[in-house]
Amino acid sequence: MAQGKKNRNVGIIGIGQTHYSSHREDVNQPEMIQEAVRLALTDAGISIQDVDCVVHGNMELFEMIHQPDLWHVLGTGAYGKDSFRITTGGTTGSTLVAAADNLAASGMYNVVLAIGFEKLQEGHTTGGITNMADALWAKNLQTGALTGHTAARMIKEFGEDRAKRAAMTLRIIMDKHACLNPNSHRAFGLEFGQMESLMETSPKLVGDLRLIHMCSQSDGACALILAEEKRAKEISKKPVWIRDHITIHREESFNLFGLEPVEMTHRFAARELFARNGIQNPLEYFDVFEMYDPSAWWGLEWLRDFFLLEGDEHLKLVENKEVMIGGKIPMNPSGGVVAANPIGATAMVRVAEAALQVRGDAGRHQIPKPVKHALASGFGGTMWTVLFLLEKELTGWGE
Amino acid sequence: MSEYFGVKVDDLFNTMPDRFRPEGAEGVDASFGYDIAGEGKWRLTVKDRKMKIEKTPDLSGCVTVTTTDGETFVGINLGKVDAMKAFSSGKFKVEGDFGALAKTGKMFRKYVPPKRELTPKEYILDMFGTLEKRFQPARAEGLDVSIGYDIGGQDGGKWTAIIQGGKCVVKEGLAENLSVKLQAQAPDWVALMMGKIDALSLLSAGKAAIAGDAKLALRLGEIFSPYTPPGEKAAEQELIVLRKTISVNQKFATGPVMGKFLKALKEKKIMANQCPRCGRLQLPPREVCAPCRVRATEWKEVGPKGHLMVMDVVYYASPDPLTGETRETPYGSIHVLLDGCKGHETFWHLLRRDQIFRVKEAWGEERGTRLRPVWAEHRTGNIHDIQYFEIDE
Amino acid sequence: MIRNPQSKGDVMSRRVAICAVAQIKNEPDIWYKRFQGMVLDCVEQILKQTGVTFDLKKGIRNVVTCSDDVFDARTISDNALTDVVGAHYRGEEKMAQDGINGLGYAMACILSGHDEVVLLAGHCKESQSESRRMCTNLAFDPFYCRPLGMDFTNVNALQARVYQAKSGIREEHLAKIVVRSRKNGARNPFARENRTVTEGEVMKSPMLADPVRELHHYPATDWAVAFLLSNEERAKEFTDRPVWISGFANCMDTYFLGDKDLASNFSLKQAAGKAYQMAGIKDPRKEINLFELNDAVAYQLPMWAEGVGLCEEGKGGRWIDEGWMEKHRVNLSGGMLNGNPVMIGGLARAAEAVIQLRGEAGSRQEDGVRRALAHGTTGAAGQHQAVIILEK
Repeated sequence: MAQGKKNRNVGIIGIGQTHYSSHREDVNQPEMIQEAVRLALTDAGISIQDVDCVVHGNMELFEMIHQPDLWHVLGTGAYGKDSFRITTGGTTGSTLVAAADNLAASGMYNVVLAIGFEKLQEGHTTGGITNMADALWAKNLQTGALTGHTAARMIKEFGEDRAKRAAMTLRIIMDKHACLNPNSHRAFGLEFGQMESLMETSPKLVGDLRLIHMCSQSDGACALILAEEKRAKEISKKPVWIRDHITIHREESFNLFGLEPVEMTHRFAARELFARNGIQNPLEYFDVFEMYDPSAWWGLEWLRDFFLLEGDEHLKLVENKEVMIGGKIPMNPSGGVVAANPIGATAMVRVAEAALQVRGDAGRHQIPKPVKHALASGFGGTMWTVLFLLEKELTGWGE
Repeated sequence: MSEYFGVKVDDLFNTMPDRFRPEGAEGVDASFGYDIAGEGKWRLTVKDRKMKIEKTPDLSGCVTVTTTDGETFVGINLGKVDAMKAFSSGKFKVEGDFGALAKTGKMFRKYVPPKRELTPKEYILDMFGTLEKRFQPARAEGLDVSIGYDIGGQDGGKWTAIIQGGKCVVKEGLAENLSVKLQAQAPDWVALMMGKIDALSLLSAGKAAIAGDAKLALRLGEIFSPYTPPGEKAAEQELIVLRKTISVNQKFATGPVMGKFLKALKEKKIMANQCPRCGRLQLPPREVCAPCRVRATEWKEVGPKGHLMVMDVVYYASPDPLTGETRETPYGSIHVLLDGCKGHETFWHLLRRDQIFRVKEAWGEERGTRLRPVWAEHRTGNIHDIQYFEIDE
Repeated sequence: MIRNPQSKGDVMSRRVAICAVAQIKNEPDIWYKRFQGMVLDCVEQILKQTGVTFDLKKGIRNVVTCSDDVFDARTISDNALTDVVGAHYRGEEKMAQDGINGLGYAMACILSGHDEVVLLAGHCKESQSESRRMCTNLAFDPFYCRPLGMDFTNVNALQARVYQAKSGIREEHLAKIVVRSRKNGARNPFARENRTVTEGEVMKSPMLADPVRELHHYPATDWAVAFLLSNEERAKEFTDRPVWISGFANCMDTYFLGDKDLASNFSLKQAAGKAYQMAGIKDPRKEINLFELNDAVAYQLPMWAEGVGLCEEGKGGRWIDEGWMEKHRVNLSGGMLNGNPVMIGGLARAAEAVIQLRGEAGSRQEDGVRRALAHGTTGAAGQHQAVIILEK
């Protein structure tokens, strides 16, 4: 949470993503990382020699490797360089970008490479997530990140039919976006006409959370290269500036099951971030939003929090398709987390995809309007949120 | 009956008895129904580590019914169609106990379609039909030659491969001025190309002949990549996958706070600790009150009865990574507001499975169903000292 | 003063201070507390020492934790710490290498302007899992090194063999190092309590992984520690004895043992060199008064001494013979060898350095300590090394 002026500006100058799939059995972990690193270096037009610090992260209990950065030096390019390893569960990807931003802005390093990855097929994802709970209590009750509470609450607030249709509409929109993203893991080619049938036939996981709503479990890696302002301008024609970021965690126990409303970390983070950056109307200000949406229900609910909306404004955004590419506030033109979820990288991919939009380089899933201000979120742990504010220009910020 | 990917739906069901693995059926006593559009309905019955498969329209009493079409069903079994994708896009539907169906995966070995043999004539035509495709320019640099193939017998034929300027063109018939000519009978040629016999043996036995540039003839194995019959992929580099279960025993400390709570469970008491600043009760108790950032030092006994706040009906349970065991589904993961507690001070536990659809959650002014804990006979200071909560009636 | 090594001449006069350090005692088995309880003890001490709050505008808004999922046997192990480090509706980031790197990272958070005050808290309970070696075996790739049975202990032993031959280290030297570490540890109220041993006992101690004997290896330990860092402007709010971080650098060596010269100290030399450059140090022997080197195994003490430039390469044995361990004031805390857990050994070194610089080291206080070096390693055979320079 920023308290003072940023020491120096930092821009994203290189972006690399591997294709996300359910099994990259053709590569081992360092090989997979190398793919993303090479792509990022090529995108930036620099060589690994130009990088002076490498930041690495994932959720190691999925692959059961202790200190993976030691083995992965074979693919990260960190040999002989300063390197850090930072992990924060599902938000790891965004924390890595935040860390790289801090490291570059501090003056200690000029060009920082951040790498997030996961090879989920090498472990057991739901079991791994369940293992985050206290071994003495909640681990015996939890099932991964699955819960039907969100669906139940939204059904109570807005009525069963409307809530379910909105969640499914959002899901289908995400799939349509995923079909335009060559990197996505899952893109089914769903049509709005399938809504009824999907709502009925997709197997239930927990309560009204169905398989179709839930994110995928993917293998993949993402690499971002950040540079301080002077180097960024030398290296890249269009650096994407990181204006600010905020991390908000929440206590270990969920404590959310009474009837009194709770301000979630999403809204808290958004409020703080926008307030300290002078953004009064986030829905108007932002051109695109890459949200970490682990399920269609959460994606729907959190729209209200992230844009500080009230009532059913968020449902209307979805019902009126304003969140589609071409709409007023496109959400996840990349397809989001339901399309690809290599957990250690997923949050970084949100920043990467938002940056691609700012650069105008997102190809088939580029939104039609020019993008000057982008928002990207990360999610993990027990309702943790990380939020990023990206800008095309270094001046003319605020409204 | 139609074929998909060269396999009939019937083949999959008819081979089930052969592919059955009794150890995978341990503890299973159920029937599973399959409704394959346009092909028929089948019923798989598993009991006492034995199975029975019958084609029958009667799928009553099946614990699951899988509805799909032939192509998807065969495709998933052969690994040609992504199961998750089929599920998610609605092409593969399952009604009933999803978890039970997942168990059938362990009961059968994977179906491997038998290799289809072609006739010798089909092989010869295919071999020469693919010759141009199998040409490797990198191995033929600087070559300007023509190779004649004189294959005798009723299934035979004559072909010439002309290699010039890094390209290869295959024509029917034998051209003039061949650099080298190979002669063999059709069945022998087929055996040679399929790797069943080697060239030297054929030559020694007088069953094949080379006329012309013998050195060129020896290089043909390099210049053209090996022949693979249709339907089979060329041998790729074998990708090794290493499977391992990793387990390190742990000794988790409970500490004085959690320890006191667990000990009280032995005495059928539920203890919460309280924040001295905001007064909130914590279940399970923990060292600090996170929002106030002070130690929670007071203790209060609560419940043991209470009202249901919220329930998650879980249809898909998290498997134990070590044993693969899952909790029986559906199960009810509940948050109970015990007597003495208010607001978010709920207690997370499980509901008696046969009462899942009888309880009501709290909403608005209405309280949820009243519940009471069912204690285990033998208690050790563990979450399972409470077996589950049940309706207090 | 911090000099950015990448752009020479770009001197930053902003500094980062360590305002407080708090720790519990190193023990063989803290079975009576969860790691949350251990960290809470440290955090409470920090709050008491400094009066810092968690106020959104003026207090701690970002916490750096140091822990390890494998040793904690818990996915996202920092999740369990949120409550006790006050991170409810605040930020928290987990440093997943030796915690000393967390100090470097916290420094970056402050110098970047993102934070004014950062709380750093680390813990590790080696007693929790049945075998440290099973855990460190998991640090190796599953296809080659792991099935060969490599773990930190036997790989360090391979390095010991090469290094000891190169630098003339004999059994007598190792015995001297072990006896000395326990004697120093006995004076340190936070150090693990070990029985005193004689050089004879050490030399006869059973082989653990040849040439490393049991007594050459640090014993399994549980511990937790916390630090408060702040920018220069606010340091005086929290302490009247700030310790400034004048240099920090780390470096990653390559992975396969056959790809590197195990006795070359490649990554430590890089890290130390960059840290010295940042701090404007030309000769550490003259300009630094106290050294805390992370000696998990006895041979590492002279080896890391060579790596940070306390003696020439290959002269470790002579360095010990000539009494330089005392003269250079190395590992007066007892070092990691006396017992600190893996993952926070480097933080233990930094904690001791801070205590000495603040003049709070009681009976083991040295005179005239103005500048100290603390060092940490991550991985086997010192694959990843970190060096921090602290001054009054």
